[in-house]
Formats: sequence, C-alpha cells, structure tokens
Amino acid sequence: MAQAGELELRHVTKRFDQTLAVDDISLTIPHGSYCCLLGPSGCGKTTILRMIAGHEAPTSGDIRLGGESVVGLPPARRGTAMMFQNYALFPHLNVLDNVAFNLKMRGVRRAERHERAREMLAQVQLDLRFSERMPAQLSGGQQQRVALSRALITKPRVLLLDEPLSALDEFLRLQMRGELRRMQRELGITFVHVTHTQLEAIAVADLVVVMDQGRIEQAASAHEIYTLPASAYVARFMGGQNVLTGTVVTIDGGVATLVDGSGARFATPVKSPAPAVGQEIACCVRRDRVDIEKLRGPSPSPGEATNVAAGTVHAIEYQGSYVKVTIDVLESEQVVAHLADHAFLATPLDIGDAVLARWATEDVYLLTGDLTPPPTGVRPGPLQGRESRSRNL
Amino acid sequence: MVTRSSNGRPWTFYALAAFFTLFVLFLYGPMSAIFILSFQGPNGGLTFPMNGVSLHWFGALFAQQRSGDFVGSFSRSITLAILVLVMTVVISIMAGLAFRYRFACATAVFYMAIASLIMPGLLLGLGVGLMFQFAGIRPAWFSSALGAQLTWTLPFGLLIMFAVFSRFNRVYEEAARDLGARQWQTLWHVVLPILLPGIIGVALFGFTLSYDEFPRTVIPIGSRNTLPLEIWAMTTDVTSPALYALGTLTTAVSFVVIAAALTSIALIQRRRARRQRGHPDARRGGAEALPRTAGVRVGADAGDA
Repeated sequence: MAQAGELELRHVTKRFDQTLAVDDISLTIPHGSYCCLLGPSGCGKTTILRMIAGHEAPTSGDIRLGGESVVGLPPARRGTAMMFQNYALFPHLNVLDNVAFNLKMRGVRRAERHERAREMLAQVQLDLRFSERMPAQLSGGQQQRVALSRALITKPRVLLLDEPLSALDEFLRLQMRGELRRMQRELGITFVHVTHTQLEAIAVADLVVVMDQGRIEQAASAHEIYTLPASAYVARFMGGQNVLTGTVVTIDGGVATLVDGSGARFATPVKSPAPAVGQEIACCVRRDRVDIEKLRGPSPSPGEATNVAAGTVHAIEYQGSYVKVTIDVLESEQVVAHLADHAFLATPLDIGDAVLARWATEDVYLLTGDLTPPPTGVRPGPLQGRESRSRNL
Repeated sequence: MVTRSSNGRPWTFYALAAFFTLFVLFLYGPMSAIFILSFQGPNGGLTFPMNGVSLHWFGALFAQQRSGDFVGSFSRSITLAILVLVMTVVISIMAGLAFRYRFACATAVFYMAIASLIMPGLLLGLGVGLMFQFAGIRPAWFSSALGAQLTWTLPFGLLIMFAVFSRFNRVYEEAARDLGARQWQTLWHVVLPILLPGIIGVALFGFTLSYDEFPRTVIPIGSRNTLPLEIWAMTTDVTSPALYALGTLTTAVSFVVIAAALTSIALIQRRRARRQRGHPDARRGGAEALPRTAGVRVGADAGDA
C-alpha cells in the first residue's frame, strides 16, 4: 500500500498542439521526500508540476497520489497545493486574507479563519505585524512566507513549488532554500520543487530529477547526480565535471583507451557490458581531480601520454576555498580544474601560461546516453538505449 | 544648432509654450465664457458685457416656465445614464470574459460590435427609430433611446475591457482554483476585485457617453427629451442666460462624476501598490534583517561547462 504522500507518474505524456512537452515519463517520488525537477527552461518540468497540480491534463498516462489516480480531479481535491512562481498573491487582499482564502472559500467563519491564518503565519515565521499589509508592501522573502502559508493552510499531502526562489536575490535565495528544507522536514510531507538552478537542487533535494526536452535524463540522489552522472548531458548540465569524448581504440583489463579528434589519448575504467572498439564514447572527470603542471617551454605538445591535456590558461577565477582555472585545449573542449587555494598559491599561474592538465584513470567515469553535442552524429549504441536513462528510485 | 536665450532654454521651449497656451485658451475659453455669462444679472443678455452678477438664471432653470423642462430632462438623463452604465458594465465584463477564449466567429462578432462605432450616429438613431416603428412600439427615452445609446457605449466598454483583461494575469485564477474556489467564487472574490479599477473606468465611460449623447438619441427619443436634447431645443427657443446656467450646471455634474470615478480608482491603486518606501520597517523582519555578507555567489559557476 502506497503511503499518503507518495506520488507516482506512469508513462505521462503531454502534447501542446504539435509540441511534445513531456515525453512518456515514469517516476516515483517517495512519501515525505524532497524532490527537485531540474532542467533548462522548456524542458517540461513546469508542465509536469502543473499536471500534478491539476492545472493541466496529461495527454496520456496516469498520475497517482497515495496509490490513487488523481487525473480528472479538480486541483483542490487532489491533496496537493501549489506555490506559484512569483507567488500569485492576491493583490487586493491583505496578508491575513490571502492566507485565509482557502478557509473563506470553504465557508469558515471570519474569526476562526483569521485565527488559523495567524497560526500558519507564525509557523512560517512571519511577524504578525505584517498581517494587515498588502502583498505589494512586502519584500520578496516576506511574500514567499505568505505564499507558503497560503498553500500549507490547505493541509496538502504534496506541496508543489514552481521556481520558488527565482524572485529573490542571491542572499535570500540561499537562506530561503534552507528554510524550505527545514519546513519539509518539520511537516513530513512531500515537496516537489521545480528549478533551473543546479546548486539549488542539489542543496535541498533527496531526489534530483534532471530533465531535458521532456524526458528524464537521470533521477537519483544529489550525490549520485553530481559524482556519477548518467549521461554527458547530465555531466555538462550539473557542472563540476569535464566531459571527454573520443573513439575507443583498445580495451584491456577493464580500461578502455580512447582518442579524440586532436589525437589526445584518454583512459577510462569500463564496466560490463563494455563498449566495443571503434565506438564513440564519453566519459568525465571531476574538476577537483584535475592537476595542473606549468610548462617552461613556449608551445605545449600533447605527447603520447594518456589522461593529459595540453593547453594555455584561459581564465582564472578565485572562489575562496578553491581557484577555478579554465584551460583552452587545441581542437577540443576547454578543461576546467578546481585547485585548492593553497596548491594554487604555491605555484601561481597566469593567463596565457602553457600548462598540462592531468588526472588519474581511476577518477574517470564512463558516461552512457547520447553524446551531446554528438561530434560525428553517432546514433546511441546498445549501452545508450533509452531504458538506461530514466532510473526510478 | 539651437539658439539659447540667457537663462539657457532653447527657443523651441517658448514656441511650444506659446502653442500650449493657445491650446489651453481654445479648450477652456468657450467653457469659461459660458461659465461667466451664466452669472449674468437679471437684466443681462446672451453676450458680454456682464450686466451685474447674480444667481438669477440658475433659479430660472428650476422655475420651469419659458426656459424649458430642466428638472425633468435632467432626471431622465441621469436615470438613462445609470441604466446605460449598469448594462455597459455587465455586458462588457461578460464579453471580456468570453473573448478570452477563441470561440467560433470571435473575430466576426468583434468587428460587428466595433462597426457601430464607425456608422454615423444619426443614421443609427434613425435605424433604431424605424425598427421600433416597424415593431409597433412607441419610442421612448428608456427603450429606443437606451438601445441607441448602447450601440455607442458597448463597443467602447468592450475595447476597454479587452485592455483590462490583457493585463490580467490568469495565474490568479489558477491560484484561486488551487485554493478551492469554485468558478463563481473565483470570479467574485478574485477576478472582479482585481479588475475593479478597469471596471470603474468602463462605468465612467458608459455614464459620460450617455449623459451627453446627442446624434444617436435625437431621433429615437420619443416625446420626452434628455438634457442634451433639451439644451439643443433651448438654443432655438430660449433667449436668456438660463441656457448658460444650464451649461454650467451640467458641466459641474460631469466633473463630479469623473472626479468620483478617478478618485476611487486612485484609492484602490494606492491601497494595493503602496511601495515599501513609505514603510521603513517593511524590509525588516524575516530574513532581510540579517547582514548581507554571507554566502554571496557561492560556486555560482556550476553548469557553465
């Protein structure tokens, strides 16, 4: 028996005229978990949220909440509540009446609904001095608290948040995302949070769902998404990784060697089923596992060594605990290294310096899925079928 | 090159200022002349110079003798204007709601509604009068004239309503639905209150367009005149400054109505949109009270690979 707040999408598809917004998605979000739908704009994440809320009907497929289908039910009878992007607070009602709106619609008497609205505002830690204010008189953070309490007063089993932090400035965003997480823990209900910000998703979510073009690229814990991306798309989108692509030339003892367009050689550990020789594959190495060696000579040559990229320093950005160094590599993608600040200060680099970037074979992780962008237009091989891509929790 | 005078303003400033002064004179000169002449002394005539100052002609208006049926026509005009206002507001709101969906023939219906703006008013009034005669109904200010005036106010109301709805964010309706409001509750508690300033605008238009409507009303009015028709009749019969007194009074009524409408719109807008400036403590409380130093742009470069 599914728990009350377990949300399940079964082969959900949504078409708008000829546009495919959501393409046959299946996903289970466990009861009481914090799930982030993450992807660029237009990837279908907001459409999924609106279908769960009941503001949009799926073209096909089923949406089940607590084991029962909610397709066709009006939004208020689903046990979901939505916090809209930019909050959609009613501009003609003060804070208290905004929060009490649901109770008013249900015919709760004025004194009682105001009492319950005040309790709700206290729960989201909004000072009651603001309860008579109009929404336009509140700051972004305060508006968000009002929107949160207006949604929570309906006692939802699932709270749906559409880009809840996008209207806030950087500092508030960091603070409010922590508070959302705290609220979710406190209430013990399921949160589904739509965002296009990678760090926001991995900071709060139990389950991160990375989406692209209406499909799920990977659904996993934040740690897994970040360190073991399922595809080149996920690795690139999440950042923190350097994606290497090339053609397999040898496979020996669980290690495949590949050669890229410029002739550089990389090695990657492979699992079974291993890719075939001659196949185009992608792998990745974390930015903080890349070492940089400054060269004395003027022109770097790639040489015969594996897992080495030769290039010149393109940009250096100081980030506090580490330094981000971007290296231009001839005829290939840029390589980014995150160097510990003390290591960087020991051997400082300057823009234009000739350098070698190196990493260990065991730090390389083989990617499946499409090569994006495909360098030679190769079709996905047997390892890269669609089945492997949407992994349900 | 712009020639500058001693205090640094270009000559174009003075040219445009002079033009603007002419415009203001042209706009308010006639009105002021009528306004001043309405206070003509009891023995004064229709033109300057003033022969004493009095309220005599205002009194003459209410005496209903040779100066026409002022009280009757005024009350008819106000009643008719209120009828037109209510019908224009209700029908425009309903049409505005309907036109948000692409129903069959929406464009055709829209152009048909707008067509009556373009048709000469006098002909439209004639047509309405003919139809009533054909149907065997006696034309009257509350039936045929009402219909003729609606052909004028409804397209205006509709056009304003389009503008009002185009700025209405439908997410408020979704939010209301999400919070358990039924359709009529959403309309009554969310849509109409948010649109209220625009609705007051439509009401104002409906009232003032009806209050001084002449060409469409003159033929289908029946036997009892509205105020503008009465004034028109008076210009041919009445040869006293009572005519001017009437003009001053009706203008005052229009100003009161417009001022009331604009004030209520301004009050609603101010209530909703008072900026934080006026409330120094609006930024306190909650997260904002903390110093804005920590955590600024931590690792903001993720995903830029």
